[in-house]
Amino acid sequence: MFHWLEQRPFFFTIGVFMVVAFAGLIEILPNFAEASRPVVGTKPYSILELAGRQVYIKDSCNACHSQLIRPFKSETDRYGMYSLSGEYAYDRPFLWGSKRTGPDLHRVGNYRTTDWHENHMWEPTSVVPGSVMPSYKHMFSNTVDVETAYAEMVAVNKVFNVPYNKPIKMKDGSTTTVKLPDSLDEAKQEILKEAKEIVKDMKNQDVKDMVEKGEIPEIVALIAYLNSLK
Amino acid sequence: MDIGQLQAYAYFFFTLLLVFLLYSYIFHLYISERRGTKDYEKYGKLALDDEISSEPLEKNSERVVEK
Amino acid sequence: MGEQSQQTAPIQYDYTVAKMFLVSTILFGIIGMGIGVFIAFELAFPELNNLFGEFGTFSRLRPIHTNGVAFGFTLSGIFATWYYVGQRVLKVSMAESKFLMTVGKLHFWLYFITILLAVVTLLSGLTTSKEYAELEWPLDILVVGFMVLWGISIFGLIGIRRERTLYISIWYYIAAFVAISMLYVFNNMELPTYFVTGMGSIMHSVSWYAGTNDALVQWWYGHNAVAFVFTTPIIAIIYYFLPKESGQAVYSYKLSLLSFWGLMFVYLWAGGHHLIYSTVPDWMQTMGSVFSVVLILPSWGSAINMLLTMKGEWNQLQSNPLIKFMVLASTFYMLSTLEGPIQAIKSVNALAHFTDWIPGHVHDGTLGWVGFMIIAGIYHMTPRVFKKEIYSKKLIEIQFWLQTTGIVLYFSSMWIAGITQGMMWRAVDEYGNLSYSFIDTVEVLHPYYTMRAIGGAFYLVGLFIWAYNIYKTFKCGRELSDKEINVNASPMAS
Repeated sequence: MFHWLEQRPFFFTIGVFMVVAFAGLIEILPNFAEASRPVVGTKPYSILELAGRQVYIKDSCNACHSQLIRPFKSETDRYGMYSLSGEYAYDRPFLWGSKRTGPDLHRVGNYRTTDWHENHMWEPTSVVPGSVMPSYKHMFSNTVDVETAYAEMVAVNKVFNVPYNKPIKMKDGSTTTVKLPDSLDEAKQEILKEAKEIVKDMKNQDVKDMVEKGEIPEIVALIAYLNSLK
Repeated sequence: MDIGQLQAYAYFFFTLLLVFLLYSYIFHLYISERRGTKDYEKYGKLALDDEISSEPLEKNSERVVEK
Repeated sequence: MGEQSQQTAPIQYDYTVAKMFLVSTILFGIIGMGIGVFIAFELAFPELNNLFGEFGTFSRLRPIHTNGVAFGFTLSGIFATWYYVGQRVLKVSMAESKFLMTVGKLHFWLYFITILLAVVTLLSGLTTSKEYAELEWPLDILVVGFMVLWGISIFGLIGIRRERTLYISIWYYIAAFVAISMLYVFNNMELPTYFVTGMGSIMHSVSWYAGTNDALVQWWYGHNAVAFVFTTPIIAIIYYFLPKESGQAVYSYKLSLLSFWGLMFVYLWAGGHHLIYSTVPDWMQTMGSVFSVVLILPSWGSAINMLLTMKGEWNQLQSNPLIKFMVLASTFYMLSTLEGPIQAIKSVNALAHFTDWIPGHVHDGTLGWVGFMIIAGIYHMTPRVFKKEIYSKKLIEIQFWLQTTGIVLYFSSMWIAGITQGMMWRAVDEYGNLSYSFIDTVEVLHPYYTMRAIGGAFYLVGLFIWAYNIYKTFKCGRELSDKEINVNASPMAS
């Protein structure tokens, strides 16, 4: 019976496909609806945060930093509460990483400040002696692509119903709304407003000057994103 | 019966089925060679005798452009 | 293609496309592994990160290393051997079909351009960030394009075959084609934001899946990209080249049947072991763990089948350096397919995950198994496709020992590094407080990172020797007659 297959490439290929595809169907499909529901307190990214997330991806921070705290005491002591599935509901793509050459960042917003990040990204060894992290000085002069960040915001809102402009329940019982700017111009004003909040706590004069001129340096967006990880 | 329970039953019987299939396959391979109805091992020579001029073990009858 | 032009001349195998891929294997091997060695040194000596501004950091270069070796070096090696082995075991020449010849050449050029574009886009930071699927959507379309061409080439050649039965290697090539295509398409479902909004960069896209689901699909893909790029086609390679080079028919055809279907069925389930203690449901993690352990059986089935093929002919291990490469490759395959399941056991994974033990494991497989098999396969092909004697046996011996030493340095240092790091992360003092800050666990790794980088450099030097040896063969190897070529052991000058 089976020798039959090795002489009939068409049926052989169908056989391979069925055997191979089977596992995916059973393992992946059943959980799809359940895992993508957000938990209370999870809100979509604001435009500056989203731009910062794009910087995080552009420079592959996830090659060395995870965003997944496992449920062990040694991890929760070091990084905070273990991660929940719903907290990633608006992460497209997910950024769990697979290697911790540097520490986990899933709740880095809880224990690092804008000022710390600014010094660290400029020269990591200035705040963490012995660090093997590269310095990311180019982020202080490169600017973010506001239009692409806004495009991503509009796209996920339109296609995946990410709840912008809708009330979102927070952990303390209050509600908050993340605004989706109506137009690109409005998006540019909004991102500048958010950037000014971040820059208040920064020292680098070049970065301050750029924001004054209406440009958004990558570092500002990245810090906004890192601060949002809580 | 909820979906979880159904899955559990499905897995259990599926595992049994697979074990059964695997062993009957092994049994089939060895018994058909012992009875002499099949000679699987001769196909191992396909890698050794692979010149274009050498005679195929079994000709592909569906081949259209036979020269 | 001069050989096949006269109607009266007997048909000969046509290796035009195989030769093209042979060159790209060597080229992408050197680029991919060269970058690998460079970033390994960056971890040991971080000042190196600043050499090329934003384009020289570890983070920017790492995806180029992984994509370069997986889709540059390894895929090239797979395609090169396909265009060689495929013709031979089906007993049909590419020269018999103009159509397939055109498809083959198109396949090469589309592939080559895609990989070059991949290097450029990744270097400029255009990435989706999903591991081994970093290429942005326009490149994904090109990847699908060359995979389709490969499929046409596989099934086209099978369609006009003379030999009715498909040899074992062909099964594995088919499996690689089917599974890579399926996995690649599903994991790279992306929404290009430009087309929804008409704004922003045309290159940018977001994943179709969110959060935990994205992770599930990613590791279903990520694990099985490893399976169907680094395992099944490499098994295809060894099932042809080891029997051929040694002159011994495969030990058991029946065992190869069993391990093939076993591997096909089990491999896909094991992806969940990348997500142990993450936020995916517990039953998936357990299933990933269990199936990873089951996976030892079909993997070892193939590896043992290969080792037993050498039964009674072990003296060749001493006399033929290509047999050395292939026997050590199947041994490394056994090592990494035992190591993987061990790491997939939940309690071991709790320690090993996120540490350097994981890259250590990957590299015993890729350097020891994938690299060695492709190197040996290409060496075996060289005298046949160029009709010249291999330039130097001694250089192959030197390369073998250099690279073997490199691998040993690599995995031993990464084992120590990974376990040290894992233990330090969880170490607590008598009051239950963490004993080490994170930076302590980084500083302690410096000697191991240095050793790993040196091991990698050894392997890279071996690769240069390989390239040189093949270049010299092509340039000034002794011409061989057909009679001297149609033998099992590859002809090589001492």
